[in-house]
Amino acid sequence: MKIIVLIKQVLDPAGILVRRDKEKMFINREEYIVGPDSKAALEAGLRLKDAGGAEVIALSMGKPRAEDALREALAMGCDAAYLLSDDAFNQADITVTASVLAAAIQRLGGADLIVAGRESGDTGAGQIGSRLAEALDYAQVTDVHALAGEQGAIQATRRWGSGYAAVRAALPAVVTVAPEAFPARYAHGAGIMNAYREWQVTTWNAADLGLGEAALKPLLTFRGESFPPPLPVGEQLRGAPASVAHELITALELQKVIG
Amino acid sequence: MDFSFPKEYQLFRRMVRDFAEDEVRPLAKAVDREHRVPFETVKKAAALGLMGVPFPQKYGGMGGGEMGYCIMMEELGRICTSTATVIGAHTGIAAMSIYLDGTEEQKQKFLVPLASGRLIGAFGLTEAQAGSDAAAIKTTAVRDGNHFVINGAKVFITNGDIAGIMTVMAVTDPSLGAYGGITAFIVETDTPGFSIGSLENKMGIRGSSTAECVFQDVRVPKENVLGQFGAGFLTFMKSLDIGRASLGAACLGGAQAALEGCMEWTMAREQFGVPVATKQSVYFMIADMAAEIEALRSMIYRTAWLIDTHQPHIKEAAICKLYGSEVASRCVHKAVQIHGALGYSRDYWVERAYRDARIAEIFEGTNEIQRVVLASNLFRPYGMRIPS
Repeated sequence: MKIIVLIKQVLDPAGILVRRDKEKMFINREEYIVGPDSKAALEAGLRLKDAGGAEVIALSMGKPRAEDALREALAMGCDAAYLLSDDAFNQADITVTASVLAAAIQRLGGADLIVAGRESGDTGAGQIGSRLAEALDYAQVTDVHALAGEQGAIQATRRWGSGYAAVRAALPAVVTVAPEAFPARYAHGAGIMNAYREWQVTTWNAADLGLGEAALKPLLTFRGESFPPPLPVGEQLRGAPASVAHELITALELQKVIG
Repeated sequence: MDFSFPKEYQLFRRMVRDFAEDEVRPLAKAVDREHRVPFETVKKAAALGLMGVPFPQKYGGMGGGEMGYCIMMEELGRICTSTATVIGAHTGIAAMSIYLDGTEEQKQKFLVPLASGRLIGAFGLTEAQAGSDAAAIKTTAVRDGNHFVINGAKVFITNGDIAGIMTVMAVTDPSLGAYGGITAFIVETDTPGFSIGSLENKMGIRGSSTAECVFQDVRVPKENVLGQFGAGFLTFMKSLDIGRASLGAACLGGAQAALEGCMEWTMAREQFGVPVATKQSVYFMIADMAAEIEALRSMIYRTAWLIDTHQPHIKEAAICKLYGSEVASRCVHKAVQIHGALGYSRDYWVERAYRDARIAEIFEGTNEIQRVVLASNLFRPYGMRIPS
């Protein structure tokens, strides 16, 4: 099975300080990580590789620094990694992103299975899986919590209302996975060393993918950003630590949060 | 001059930090309480290559050099000194002595299982009457055909009772003294005659084991002589020289944890209506901790670079151990003070950090011995000999 895992590199939230009072986000430490959903996608792909032997290719569209995310994917066990990077991609909206990824996947000769995270850790649109499935005319299963391969198809468990649905999809297919269902493995130390010293990331630009200006024209225009309304604060308990603790336990017991 | 870490080391640090936070931290308190080695963590660490970080991949290692090894020790030291001690003694001195002076056959036979974590290593030097005076060992190895027969006892051996392989220093010719009369051996601990005496009931690093190891007519094949016959003292000293840099790195992690914990606490804890972090008497302590930690960090990674680029490093490694252990001790001392009565409570991490830090001023050569090493290296170019 040929699996392509989509990776998105995001700013490490641990380095960000959010000041709601100033409506500003301060970057204390500018470090980039593989987004948690992408890591889950990697884990899902690598589990299929562990289970039955598959080729897992990591694919990312982003700034040149996203190469680090792909090297981490190699360290975790991916067999090859491709970076799609071009200044012409900088204004890409979700439609353009899907076209660029689809072009790269076609250049790679297509895939049996494409795995992506449910939504990215930064913009969080949660659309790339569906858009890509449409662009490539692949089957799609979103919000997957369990995944297994079989001859020419996959079996997936996806979220269905408050429960789950077991579905089967003929390959080729796109799945998006729930991060909580695929906690990612640690990269092996030797893999980390080799990912930078021995293994390669191939970079393709717009010309490599045969994408002209028209194909890269976004449909959406970015107009501004703002904070979401504050979440309602729950009940606040105040007083001596012992009595507050007692009240808290009682409240949690009443709500059956703890037994 | 570029002080930034190469990217593979940045990623490696993040991996080890995640591993330490998610796998080591949840056990740190329990292994101290229950006085037991966290084997489950060691097994997981081995699966990630963390039992052989400095060694080349052809020997089952990770290929991370001393730089990678110091990064791991810092990150483990930040979370659990016991775990750092188990992995540190295994890697930094036991396996290291085989890597430094072992033959190719010895490396294949002994270093590969150690570096891949299939076996745990221990370093058998200290004896009841030979601590700082390491050359005063009484354990003997007598030639008998194609074997050597080892008799004696080693004490305070980290991992002694859990090791599969132990490097052991023994007297082979009492008339020749330290240089010529002492030989290093590789001993498989399932060899008949090897046994464990008492286990130490320690003040700190209680999640690591420290054992008395008894050798009674332990026969080892002559192929297990490590390094030149008669040059065992040098083999052991070389291993300790390198081990000192990484020991300093574990201290760096411990000091860093104290700083982070104090910052978190002082921002949350209010007295006189304000966070105590705003009190000069408190933030001066925190500023002093940060300054010493920064100096230590530069020192550790510069020394790791010296080692990885095969430059002289004995003096620098001794400083890493000496300064590192004292910085860690000063930081945990301040941490207890800053946390007040809470810092004295068994229920809180500070008390464990305080007990754990103390050993670093003692083991792998007391800080007094580090000063001897340092002074010897300082005065030697002038022809002045510093006696031990």
